[in-house]
Amino acid sequence: MSKASTRQVTSGDAKSRSELQRSIEKFHGVSLKQVLGEIEYLRDAGDSVIAGGSLAYGLGNQLSDLDLLVTGPTTTDSSRIPLQHFINSLRVDVWKLDQGHIEESFDRTEQALAEEGALLGSFGDVDHEDEFKLLHRVAFGVVVDGDELEPKHGRDYRALASDLVVREYAERMRNSALLAQLAFRAGRPIAAVVNARLAVEAGLNAIVLYRGLPFSGDKWLRERLDGQMSDLAQVYKPFRQLPEDPAQDASEFVEAALSTCVEMWGLDLAIDTLMLAASWRTTDLRLTKVGAGQLLLSANLGALWSLDAREAEAWGLLASAGAEEPEATWGLGECDTEVSLLCMRLYEHGLLYLDWTEGVTIEELKDNAGLE
Amino acid sequence: METIEVDARRYAWCRSRALWLIGLPIRLHLEDVHGAHQAGQDGLLRFAARRVGDSCALALNLILNYDRTIPDYAMRSAWVLERLQGHELCQPCWDLIRGMDDASNEEIVDRCDFLIAQVCAIIGETPNILTPEGQFPAIAMARDWSNLLDAVGEQAALPYSWMPPT
Repeated sequence: MSKASTRQVTSGDAKSRSELQRSIEKFHGVSLKQVLGEIEYLRDAGDSVIAGGSLAYGLGNQLSDLDLLVTGPTTTDSSRIPLQHFINSLRVDVWKLDQGHIEESFDRTEQALAEEGALLGSFGDVDHEDEFKLLHRVAFGVVVDGDELEPKHGRDYRALASDLVVREYAERMRNSALLAQLAFRAGRPIAAVVNARLAVEAGLNAIVLYRGLPFSGDKWLRERLDGQMSDLAQVYKPFRQLPEDPAQDASEFVEAALSTCVEMWGLDLAIDTLMLAASWRTTDLRLTKVGAGQLLLSANLGALWSLDAREAEAWGLLASAGAEEPEATWGLGECDTEVSLLCMRLYEHGLLYLDWTEGVTIEELKDNAGLE
Repeated sequence: METIEVDARRYAWCRSRALWLIGLPIRLHLEDVHGAHQAGQDGLLRFAARRVGDSCALALNLILNYDRTIPDYAMRSAWVLERLQGHELCQPCWDLIRGMDDASNEEIVDRCDFLIAQVCAIIGETPNILTPEGQFPAIAMARDWSNLLDAVGEQAALPYSWMPPT
């Protein structure tokens, strides 16, 4: 049976206002009334205050900040970054946005979900999660003061926000599964095991979100599994720690991780299948010969890399097929062994990008995992 | 007068990113480590410790090797660990990145504190942006680095969502 199980998007699990009140009083001796007084200067007439983040979702601790969104249909100004406030020991991050900006983000979400192209990274990544957090704060947050937002055209904020991150994580799982296998083939065992673990974690996060919990970032995964989804906690356990000697144990670890991902979501994660849907994209690399040396140059980065004869020959093959043209791309499936090894090394140095020609749609996920 | 023994663009790019890592993400991860420890949140503690290991290794590599550019998150730890081979802090970084399932919470906290102290001793201290007294000095430091980056024709190291509209 699929691990994703039945969906409960409409229920959510955000803590109620009174529970949030209790948390910040217990941790910081601060009331929501004090918080509202401190940020009053940011509110326009009709603005609501919505709490999101770990404290609102019942996950936080005494060092967690309180994440607030000030928004409404007549908000006049928007802040580009969350504005930080301190009340006693409580840090309060306030993001002020007019509802039009939020609806634009949901417009993009609807459009992205309707398309079959890859979504991976287009709304954020591991290092930039602001937009995911914003969408989930609107969809799942606790209204601290003011009215609930009235969604444009009666759209379902929760379903859209959930589908977006489920799909993002499913595509991250596929991406990590491919990288784990490519790295193993290229003799990069640490990269192989790191990506194998990331694949399992992305697959588990996709399930957590599919089951209707709000997005709160990767860091809360194990707490959620241990506290709310013990069936999945056991799935995760073998992958929480990487092998002590990846050079010896990468093969077994990667194989087990991929099997777990396939069992969770039913996608075909075999390297030959995935390579057909992926391509490399260059930055501004070009080979320059200086005397007997073969140098790969990125003028934009102001950086050079010395290639040995085999690497230079492999790059020469790529260059003859157009790889030195701006924004050139080539399929992973088109590369022979030497070229593949070089591409993996370049990717490992941040000199190539990995793109996907097609995404993993929600319908595909449901079909493969046998979900309603 | 002392010559900076590296190209100006590369120096500004690598140093500013390393200091930004120390100035914000590592502080956030360390705060998560301590908050999780106090609250008995074992899973959060171990995840945050992994990110401490990742970020410290990356910051060290930027300062010690002036490596440019930074690869995707998926490849970052493998890449920096290879580049830090032989350095005394490589193993402590790897231990945290690998995950410390069997270690006690106290040991993990101690290891994170130790590693960050060692890395800061190499890279330099930055004001803690997460505290009332450190917030404005940290922003002032970020502004100084942004000015230097502008002067040498490089993009600022701040997150893209913080950049003014163009």
